[in-house]
Amino acid sequence: MVAPAVALTAALVVYPLAKGFKSSLESGEATYGASPKFVGLDNYREVLKTSTAVDAIGHTLIYVALAVTLELVLGMIVAVTLNRVFRGRGIVLAILILPWALPSVVSGVLWRRVFDPDSGLLNSVLLQLHVIDHPHVWMATKGTALAFITIVHVWGVLPLVSLVLIAGLQSIPEEVYSASAVDGANPVRQFRHITLPLLRPAIAVALTIGTVWGIAIFDEIYVLNGTALNTRSVLMEVYNTTFVDADFAHGTALAFMLTVVTALFAIGYTLGFRRETT
Amino acid sequence: MTGRVLRALAITLIVVWSLAPIAIGLVTSFSTQRDVQAVPARWLPEQPTLDAYRSLLGGTSSQRAGGTVAESGTYSKALLNSTIVTLLSTLAVLAVAVSGAYGFSRLEFPGRRTLFWAISALIIIPVFMVVIALFRLMADAHLIDHKLGLVLVFAATQTPLALLLMRNYIAELPLEPEEAALIDGCTRWQAFWRVVVPQMSSGIAALAAIVMLAVWGEFLIPLLLTSTLNSKTVTVVIPEFVGKYTTNYPLLAAAGVLAVLPPAIVALVLNRHIRGMLHGSS
Amino acid sequence: MARPDAGIVLEGVRKEFPGGVVAVDDFSLEVAPGEFVVLVGPSGCGKSTTLRMVAGLEPMTAGAVQIGGRDVTRFPPRHRDVAMVFQNYALYAHMTVAANIGFGLKMNDMPKAEIEPRVQRAAEILGITDLLKRKPRQLSGGQRQRVAMGRAIVREPAAFLMDEPLSNLDAKLRVEMRAEITNVQRRIGAPTLYVTHDQTEAMTMGDRVAILRDGVLEQLGTPLELYDAPVNVFVAAFIGSPAMNLIDATIEVESDTWFARFGDARVPIPHDRRESLVPFAGRPVRLGLRPEDLGRDGEGAIELPVIRTESLGSETIAYLDAGGERPLIARFDRRAPLAAGRHARIPVDLDRLYFFDADTGAAIR
Repeated sequence: MVAPAVALTAALVVYPLAKGFKSSLESGEATYGASPKFVGLDNYREVLKTSTAVDAIGHTLIYVALAVTLELVLGMIVAVTLNRVFRGRGIVLAILILPWALPSVVSGVLWRRVFDPDSGLLNSVLLQLHVIDHPHVWMATKGTALAFITIVHVWGVLPLVSLVLIAGLQSIPEEVYSASAVDGANPVRQFRHITLPLLRPAIAVALTIGTVWGIAIFDEIYVLNGTALNTRSVLMEVYNTTFVDADFAHGTALAFMLTVVTALFAIGYTLGFRRETT
Repeated sequence: MTGRVLRALAITLIVVWSLAPIAIGLVTSFSTQRDVQAVPARWLPEQPTLDAYRSLLGGTSSQRAGGTVAESGTYSKALLNSTIVTLLSTLAVLAVAVSGAYGFSRLEFPGRRTLFWAISALIIIPVFMVVIALFRLMADAHLIDHKLGLVLVFAATQTPLALLLMRNYIAELPLEPEEAALIDGCTRWQAFWRVVVPQMSSGIAALAAIVMLAVWGEFLIPLLLTSTLNSKTVTVVIPEFVGKYTTNYPLLAAAGVLAVLPPAIVALVLNRHIRGMLHGSS
Repeated sequence: MARPDAGIVLEGVRKEFPGGVVAVDDFSLEVAPGEFVVLVGPSGCGKSTTLRMVAGLEPMTAGAVQIGGRDVTRFPPRHRDVAMVFQNYALYAHMTVAANIGFGLKMNDMPKAEIEPRVQRAAEILGITDLLKRKPRQLSGGQRQRVAMGRAIVREPAAFLMDEPLSNLDAKLRVEMRAEITNVQRRIGAPTLYVTHDQTEAMTMGDRVAILRDGVLEQLGTPLELYDAPVNVFVAAFIGSPAMNLIDATIEVESDTWFARFGDARVPIPHDRRESLVPFAGRPVRLGLRPEDLGRDGEGAIELPVIRTESLGSETIAYLDAGGERPLIARFDRRAPLAAGRHARIPVDLDRLYFFDADTGAAIR
């Protein structure tokens, strides 16, 4: 009964990965007839020297830092708001999930209407409020582009983070709040001494999700700004290198590095937070 | 008292924030280009129309799509592709994950723990990595630009997480009903189908929803693995409507809305199950 | 700071839930300084709700609460200077035992140097000094119970509140902790309000006991007062184990002898009780007989068929057919000559007859 699962993943995941890793250690230059030359970590080194790749890494770091911060702060607010039962809570939760359920490509498309330079809603609102005097091309300036793309990304991830935090909040027994109230804690102190520490596991999960999804950011950027250099993420750089430039060797190397970093973050968070609660 | 007002305010903001872009998209899909290009931007169309949908589903000339070719039936074909791929992938993942989870949690065999953790560890590997690694192999097997190729990749990459979720889910279920069935004369297989699977119905529904949403919304993978309408999914087709200079927003919005309907329906119908699954695994 | 010589006062406390459900109705009670008062009653009688209102965890619909001489009706829990022990202990899972105990002191901005010795002293009183560095998850139920108590006593509050703290312990541990709690309370000396559904706890621990039913105070008194002079059938049946037998009987007067008759049995009524029963002559009443008052020596005697006997070693419980739906329960010592199926002669202690109005359930005095 277990065989299908094992076979599937072994054949389609483990084996290709092994092979892919091997080919990333080989030269990208095709030599007719002969097998590719082994060049060790050269591909890796070269890729990291490319300016586009370095920029992409920088962009991605900003995306992740910004996104995760927003997700945790906003997610905490949403979780606290929706934690208690109220009339219509079920509906609100169903609505909350929607941005996450939609394909991120479509999210990008929906938000495009807001950010479009010519007919965008943001421009028109700001113009009418006289905050700006001419329509801005938001995606042209790195600062605004990165910020707005992050907002679109957060729009899609926030539901999941909120749900994780809500689950965490609900695992704290009500009696503990009563006990701390009698012991002399006001709501702020309750949050700091009771809620936050007991939420650590949930926050760890939220951080992991936010970081892993943030590192792999791609769809929203593609729809809002294509493969433009000023907003490229690492994954987009991988895409560009591997499929547009057809440079498999370097592309795969970059992809592996990205994978390792993602894996390290995921493991790091889980281990770090596990120690806290044991 | 202020607590309640603040909370009501926060709830309103949450609802508006979640629904606004969707609402804007909906409204745009019922507008015309003139409505969209009006300055200052008009929030509501002068006269709501279904033109965008008609063009989209009935075919349109390349000019009006503002960019790449959008021949008659392009979008409908993409919708069909997405549907087929999603359904098949989901079925595959369900079959593998549910039976696998049962095997890993209720059956005893050597190396059970290590094998399970090995597969679970694969969750850490991002999907794109797998696709890139798989690319050459699939090209050789002529599975590029083939719906089956997509299904295989999705099934393989969704399985580790699905397996983990399902196994944790089964671990929480009481053993007694299954044991009673075994005592009453059922084989393992029968007990599995008649007792355990029904016990898992909520979890299975949630998993199906999660997998469907994930597969339907995947972009990079189909982008890499498809080249013609043989297998192109809606997610790949939609960005093609984005023009370099002007974009036909109503058309784009209509495409977006149609692409959003299936996942939205799945999410709304199964949302309680999804939330239940998240609670359990946290 | 609260006055150490003042207790807990509840005046006309009332709790009404939206929808009209009245959980507690016009409840008044005074706990004297150092006194241990038990609130007891069946599930849903409003005892926990009342306790929570005293703590400030539940808003009051009407009434007032004073603690330590101050009117705390409008105060949130943290300003009332009370300590509470919860049914599920409500320990802070992420803190050590020492931190748990000291939390209240920390919230009152006491400097660390002062907190430590006080925590140490509280731990000594409860015998948990070797647990101070552990986390709650590593403790047994009884140990967690003591930590919860430590957390309460370390603050030297103006009042203790306890919400069924022994319910989650096994029977043997419960007996042990009962003594422990009363000892600690006597040592600390703070007025205590203790909620339970267990009448044994009420009888053994309370200086005074308040019985509640459906939000109404049925009777307030010392355990012995409740036992000897219950005001109605509810209190009579609630206190005492096994419960008092309540029989539908008729008062019959034959020349100069008065009887309470049920079935074929006739219990003679002593002279001193007759006056109160005059209005009930010839009419039905409810007769209360405690099992422990049947089977000892008594001047009255009745004969009833034995349905079943249970021997507990130290005593024998006999189930007798009194003609009603429920058997009559009597407690004999272990050498009772009883056999199932036969008739037995049951001595009745005539000084311990209880009479209640058949309609209202009120005691006839």
